[in-house]
Amino acid sequence: MNPSSLKSRFTTRFLRALTKINAHKPISSSSPGPGEIFQRYRRIKVAADKSMAYSVRSRRTWSRATLWRLRTRSPRSRLATHARRSWVKTRSTRAASHGKEKKEDGGTVEAEELRELVPGGEAMDLCNLLDETAHYIKCLTTQLDILDRQECTSREL
Amino acid sequence: MDKGEKDKYELENRNENSINYQAPVMSSDWQFGGANLTSAGMSLVPSGNPLALGSSCASASVADSFGSNLWEHPSNSQNLGFCGINVQNGASSSNAMGIGKSTLTSLRSGVDRPFDMGWNAASSMLKGGFFLPNTTGILPQSLSQFPADSSFIERAARFSSFNGGNFGDMVSPFGMPESMGLYTGGMGLMRGPEDMFAANGMKSVSGVESQKSKLNVTEATRDACLQVENRAKKSPGNDRRSGSLFRANEEAKQGAGGSGNESDEAEFSGHDGGQDEPPSLDGAGGEPSAKGLSSKKRKRSLQDAEIDQAKGGQPPTEAAKDGAENQHKGEQKQTTSVNKTTGKQVSPASHPPKEEYIHVRARRGQATNSHSLAERVRREKISERMKFLQDIVPGCSKVTGKAVMLDEIINYVQSLQRQVEFLSMKLATVNPRLDFNIEGLLAKDIIQSRAGPSSTLGFSPDLSVGYPALHPSQPGLFQAALPVTGSNTDVIRRSLSSQFTSMTGGLKESNQLSNPWEDELHNVVQMNYGTSAPSDDLNVNGPQPSGNT
Repeated sequence: MNPSSLKSRFTTRFLRALTKINAHKPISSSSPGPGEIFQRYRRIKVAADKSMAYSVRSRRTWSRATLWRLRTRSPRSRLATHARRSWVKTRSTRAASHGKEKKEDGGTVEAEELRELVPGGEAMDLCNLLDETAHYIKCLTTQLDILDRQECTSREL
Repeated sequence: MDKGEKDKYELENRNENSINYQAPVMSSDWQFGGANLTSAGMSLVPSGNPLALGSSCASASVADSFGSNLWEHPSNSQNLGFCGINVQNGASSSNAMGIGKSTLTSLRSGVDRPFDMGWNAASSMLKGGFFLPNTTGILPQSLSQFPADSSFIERAARFSSFNGGNFGDMVSPFGMPESMGLYTGGMGLMRGPEDMFAANGMKSVSGVESQKSKLNVTEATRDACLQVENRAKKSPGNDRRSGSLFRANEEAKQGAGGSGNESDEAEFSGHDGGQDEPPSLDGAGGEPSAKGLSSKKRKRSLQDAEIDQAKGGQPPTEAAKDGAENQHKGEQKQTTSVNKTTGKQVSPASHPPKEEYIHVRARRGQATNSHSLAERVRREKISERMKFLQDIVPGCSKVTGKAVMLDEIINYVQSLQRQVEFLSMKLATVNPRLDFNIEGLLAKDIIQSRAGPSSTLGFSPDLSVGYPALHPSQPGLFQAALPVTGSNTDVIRRSLSSQFTSMTGGLKESNQLSNPWEDELHNVVQMNYGTSAPSDDLNVNGPQPSGNT
């Protein structure tokens, strides 16, 4: 296995995060209520997304957007979100005008949907958006694979 | 530096048209990354090889950028960034890549191992760092440092015309002459940086050429590297420069004469001036930027060759893989390269900024308007990417048309995201294993066993596919969940509840547990039902129960 592949990078980071989460909340035999579980779920999900984004670093728009999103979910996010929104708006208008110039596919509706799905895709033209989507899908499948196996091994206890 | 720093130099693909609005954003990211890279570069010397490996592989595989073998191969994940990028490179860069590779492999044999790796790492880092803004397409534009051998151009042209053959085979016959060319070019290159830096008042680097000692060379390169990094915010040509600087230093270190070939130097420096693009060599103010059409074409192939050279810092182990990739890329690129390398200038008069990067010749019977040309290039790129996505997304092989494909892709991405949420929820409920076994998680056999059911079940019946695929230990669920009917919700619920009882061992809170699960389920199922509406007709057609692809 390639020691520096995306999968290994993600796995190491994710496991580190998981250990941190588990250490933080001692999941004992006591029955965790749904609220606790939900909290833990949120943490784990954030950990998974974050570790995936970190494994990709800033090489991809979606990873940057994910990291940015995760960072500015804190209460001081108002300023940050405003800044981000304005930046996104300028870029999206430029991208939109660019796309409209060459209206080669009438599927701009779907493109918009895809833009919403892929983080950071709001301000990209279709060409790059498809590229990002491909990479994003690849990373998502990796993420799923690791999560899957982790869950499996955890379940076998 | 941790391993993550190494990733920074991987390239990103950007449309050439997006240079305008992407450049400013890129620069900030890149600058930060670049600064980190240099510091990381030196420290990562010993481990430079895998990086160079990734970078070189990727650079070679232009048309393969969307080849499934590269994308899906886990060990090539690093190539991903490169691969994506070089679509436009592929269209433009000739097979000089093959040349570059062959030459550099032959050169490499004579280089000191540590310095070699250091150069690899550093240059690849630099390239990567610089390449980030290049993604906008400036990349071919400001290649200036390459030796202006007309013979080299001819060789490049010859290569492109011979293209179909196996590049691996071409290594030996062309290796020697190419290496010679490179050597002389390299000597010439050493002058270039000196001029540039001298013009900028960087006295420290002036010692580069004269210094034969390893220490000075490495220091100078480091300084040059840092200086270049700091200054060259918008000059993507700097990566070539530093790449060539490194190469030049390497060759100097090898003991080659400081000015092996006067004529080459003169030619180089002269041509270097002639090659400058406005945004190119930052600080190279002394060099005139005469930009005639003829020089453009020359620069083109030189750029291509330069790209190869700059990216070509690889250990010989690359050769086989690169050969295959080159071949692939070369074949795919053949159409555009044949269009391009006719020895004449092609760029339409209007819109020079756009056509600088890719010289596309108007095909017979097609409009030669620059707009339509660029549009055609764009369309081809998009269709290329769509084809690649078609391979990635299961169940899309029979889909034609952009809109439907996009719908399928959207569905797939949504289902993947939901699956991630689902799995993380599951992880939240189970008691975690205290000893996390990384090797176990990365083991490949499990991948295949798992990937089998999840991929064959396909995704168009994605209403139920995700969930049964997650429980291979309960194969009965597959059959239960396969029929794509309205009873999916019930099936999923049943499967989950049965799993809960087995999982939690009959804990009291199983009821409580099922509630958050049900909420998730509702979200997922509703989403799936909602989004699968457009693709319902497709679902009907395919043979559902057997688990199609």
